[in-house]
Amino acid sequence: MKRRPVEIRIGLGSCGIASGAEAVRDALVRAGATVKAVGCNGMCYREPLVEVVEADGRVATYGNVTVEMARSIVRRRGWQAGYPLGPPAPQGHRIVLENCGIIDPLNIDDYLARDGYRALAMGLSPDAIIAAITESGLRGRGGAGFPAGRKWGLARAQASAVKYVICNGDEGDPGAFMDRLVLESDPHRVVEGLAIAAHAIGATEGYFYIRAEYPLAVRHTRAAIQQAEERGLLGHLHLEVREGAGAFVCGEETALIQSLEGKRGMPKLRPPYPVERGFRGQPTLINNVETLASVPWIIRHGAGAFAALGTGNSRGTKVFALAGKINRGGLIEVPMGMTIREVVEDIGGGIRNGRAFKAVQLGGPSGGCIPARLADTPIDYDALAETGAIMGSGGLVVLDDRDCMVDIARFFLKFTQSESCGKCTFCRIGTKRMLEILERLCEGKGRPDDLEKLETLADYVSRGSLCGLGQTAPNPVLTTLRYFRDEYEAHLHQRRCPAGRCPALIRYRVTANCIGCTLCAQACPVGAIAYRPYEKHEVDDQLCTRCDMCRQACQDDAIEVL
Amino acid sequence: MKRTLIAGSLVVLCVAILLADYAVANRQPFANRPAAEQKKVTAARLARKSRDNAVAWVLIAAAGAFLTFAKGQIKQPKPRAAGELRQAKAPGPHRSRTAAAAPELDLSFVEEMVSKIGRGKEAAIPLLQAIQNYYRYLPDDALRRLCELTDITPAEIAGTSSFYGRFRRSPMGEHIVRVCHGTACHVSGARQITEELRRFLAIPDGEDTDAARMFTLDEVACLGCCSLAPVLMVDGHTAGKLTPATACDALKVTA
Repeated sequence: MKRRPVEIRIGLGSCGIASGAEAVRDALVRAGATVKAVGCNGMCYREPLVEVVEADGRVATYGNVTVEMARSIVRRRGWQAGYPLGPPAPQGHRIVLENCGIIDPLNIDDYLARDGYRALAMGLSPDAIIAAITESGLRGRGGAGFPAGRKWGLARAQASAVKYVICNGDEGDPGAFMDRLVLESDPHRVVEGLAIAAHAIGATEGYFYIRAEYPLAVRHTRAAIQQAEERGLLGHLHLEVREGAGAFVCGEETALIQSLEGKRGMPKLRPPYPVERGFRGQPTLINNVETLASVPWIIRHGAGAFAALGTGNSRGTKVFALAGKINRGGLIEVPMGMTIREVVEDIGGGIRNGRAFKAVQLGGPSGGCIPARLADTPIDYDALAETGAIMGSGGLVVLDDRDCMVDIARFFLKFTQSESCGKCTFCRIGTKRMLEILERLCEGKGRPDDLEKLETLADYVSRGSLCGLGQTAPNPVLTTLRYFRDEYEAHLHQRRCPAGRCPALIRYRVTANCIGCTLCAQACPVGAIAYRPYEKHEVDDQLCTRCDMCRQACQDDAIEVL
Repeated sequence: MKRTLIAGSLVVLCVAILLADYAVANRQPFANRPAAEQKKVTAARLARKSRDNAVAWVLIAAAGAFLTFAKGQIKQPKPRAAGELRQAKAPGPHRSRTAAAAPELDLSFVEEMVSKIGRGKEAAIPLLQAIQNYYRYLPDDALRRLCELTDITPAEIAGTSSFYGRFRRSPMGEHIVRVCHGTACHVSGARQITEELRRFLAIPDGEDTDAARMFTLDEVACLGCCSLAPVLMVDGHTAGKLTPATACDALKVTA
């Protein structure tokens, strides 16, 4: 009889569940295996994922596991289960993600067994902690990159008796999911980081502010707090989870505080900074999930180990959410200083369907698009800022040659315009005017001076806004204008969308490749293609809604976009 | 349409005349009658026969015309019948729940939540979230009761509830369908998914719920499953790697 594996792990993060991992788990259990439900190890493109750990420590990873494969995995018939995948893509050092996909997030013993809460139990003095964080060079991972040690030092220096710590898990950037994954897969780590921060600045109350779109993250964090309290690990610290209510601007720290206080989440003028006067008028330290998740590692391994990674003013590692037109989408953690090309091609496995790499969108609505020709830019705060983009929270969306940059700019402006809280005139009205111009361009109704007007408005909006949302809202427009001006000009002068994306500027046509199979006619939801077997089909331009379904249905590549 | 009807009724008329004539002809036995009467009957029969010949020709022509017109109207079948899923599910016990809840709202939940969460201004958002989760929107009566029970003013409630995207002031359908419009989903075709769902559920422009109030369609910023783009979430169930066709299938998890 073959030896039984030490453990079988299945990834039950949000993306795993969405891919059907629960059915696979049930199949594994039915086949007689003892299964450990873990979070996600970051290989989202292969979900559902099953990992088999052998007695000698080897780990075999099976990807895209189906219910049928699950049985074969348990019976140890590798050839039926599909061969195990190779080791995960090279990811440099795992600091924040060191436990993700390995421990059961709902079991505190798993976390304790991997040195969990040891950093908290080391009992360093507040000054020693702040010195270590400062020395490590850790900067805020939420986007702005403010040195964490300095922020903690400022909060500690406040004389107030009541202080608060807040973990900012309001990850609103479309295309980013680092915080969700960390909170779902390793919530204790963030709880420990927050507890260390509270100890360092002398706070007795802490809050997690988590997006309501992440129900699993909320549940796991609540469970983690409860377990840590039951074990008496948190001492006198009282922790609470608050769910967001769906406002992007609440990721800004002053707006987040307003929201916690039950008000509309509108940013306030700084100073006073939250570390001076924040939640309930008391000194408040707000850090991002990833920042806090780095803290236990820094304390355990020493500031030097963290500072040894990275370049210049950017130290340690950064977690990125790889998504878009890439082969291996998921969560990765890379040392600072790696180039964008290495991330996209080596770790991400290149562009899907063999198309051309056009650009990466970094930093969501506050960031920008970096074209493929600048892909050798290293990932560090300063080098990225030079390109006009920002490090941001870590959303990295890869675009291929079928993505229209004007459309991307319009997409982000639409987002910031609808999420603008309305406090500052330039942000409220300026983003609206910019969006109108971009929509005009996408419809082929641009006016001659539109591009200049966009640039002027962008300047006004970024200078006339109070918070990061408004100040950075024009970034997607400015970077695309800077690197892809020819596309804007094609929309404006030739009324043409070079990428074949903007519905108003494209037409669908059936080419001579058509074999008359009627697949497109069946796929067309509006009946714009007449049902004529064995004849070359025609697209009725008046009825066509440019939904692209005919082109996807066609097996002979006989539908082209004009 | 009109021509089909005319031709169709003509066919029916001709068939009726022919059947009637056949019945008349077989009514009385022909033998054992006086010769004069036999002659009269024979003449009537001959007259009927020639008329029936004409009627038969008309019938053939009318039937031909009917088939031609009717074929023009039937044409090709629609690929997917809009709202087929909805019709299959529309009548049911849960519809009465929304209908019954409307006239008189049970407000004891609001009281219970206020005693549990608190009555200070800071409790506003957790309270609104609890109410929204329970009633599935923010009913005016519940908000009014909330203002009476807490220190929160109506103006603050109005301000907060209209500011945050998760709060709804109008009832929603039986199921909520959240289509992700994050960056990754946008470049992977979220627009097509939403358009197809609107068509499939026959949701009129400017509205977000279908006529039977089964599905409410919501566009959300990001569901955080970017590597599975495009993604949608039906109630609590997420489905990824969608095409417009599989997006409609994804709604069936509610059935």
